[in-house]
Amino acid sequence: MLGARKPGSVKGQEWYQADDVAQEYDEKRFSKGGRLIDRREKEAVLDALGPVEDKKVLEIACGTGRFTAMLAERGADIVGLDISGPMLQQGRQRAQSAGVADSLEYMRGDAGRLPFPDDHFDVVFAMRFFHLADTPEEFLAEMCRVSNDQIFFDTFNRYSTRSLYNWALPMGSRLYSGEEVDALLDATGLELVSAEHDWIFPYGLYREIPNRVASTLRWLDDGIRTLPFGDRLASVSYWNARL
Amino acid sequence: MQEDLLDILCCPLDKHDLELEATERDEEEILTGTLTCTECGEAYPIEDGIPNLLPPDMREESPA
Repeated sequence: MLGARKPGSVKGQEWYQADDVAQEYDEKRFSKGGRLIDRREKEAVLDALGPVEDKKVLEIACGTGRFTAMLAERGADIVGLDISGPMLQQGRQRAQSAGVADSLEYMRGDAGRLPFPDDHFDVVFAMRFFHLADTPEEFLAEMCRVSNDQIFFDTFNRYSTRSLYNWALPMGSRLYSGEEVDALLDATGLELVSAEHDWIFPYGLYREIPNRVASTLRWLDDGIRTLPFGDRLASVSYWNARL
Repeated sequence: MQEDLLDILCCPLDKHDLELEATERDEEEILTGTLTCTECGEAYPIEDGIPNLLPPDMREESPA
């Protein structure tokens, strides 16, 4: 067990480090409608990062490594950091079987105290991390410290369908308004390059339904977002920023 | 971990260089060993090929 909560703690620290959670993580999150989420998130990462060949990339909270493996395959020189040993072991096995272990390194570490020198990476990104962060500004500042150029992350949005069920989640997520993200960027000296807003219907719903139903729901989701103010209902935002 | 990772790793506490002591290797990488901060002396274990750079206050409690 971890002791008293320290500054910069992250929700679910113990949960994510359990062996059985790591083993079932991908299956639970990314089967059924979750596949659509996985695909969209990968697209968001690839779009934001652009060509990654020979770029030095760091992913914070890389979990079982679905993004790190993808970027290593595309030639990035990438490090994945996570708090959980069991999750990283899954990632390591995946990297070895994908033949990308050479350009990919995993390590356990604290997102608030990164074991890298200033300005080392070209890109630092974190997916599904900030909703777990109790002190987002501190984490974002530390990401900025080790990046010399780009920062990319996502948030779950406060004024969205997410807030309808967030209270029922075991850990609850930190939800962000656009203003809160603006303030975070300001405080850390980041400049927003682009933002995408997606998922009128929340991830939790997609994960529970079979593929075919999920595709229909996704179609509806796309439709609603094209309406005036449709973006404002989105439950997820992807933020691409530069130093 | 591969040995050249050492070029970029530093102590999470004071950001000084780390010194590697490998106790188990295969052809490609270091499987077990210790990374020790050249400044503060804090030791970080490498377990099953994965270095554990969690600061001491965040590691699981284990009998010393």
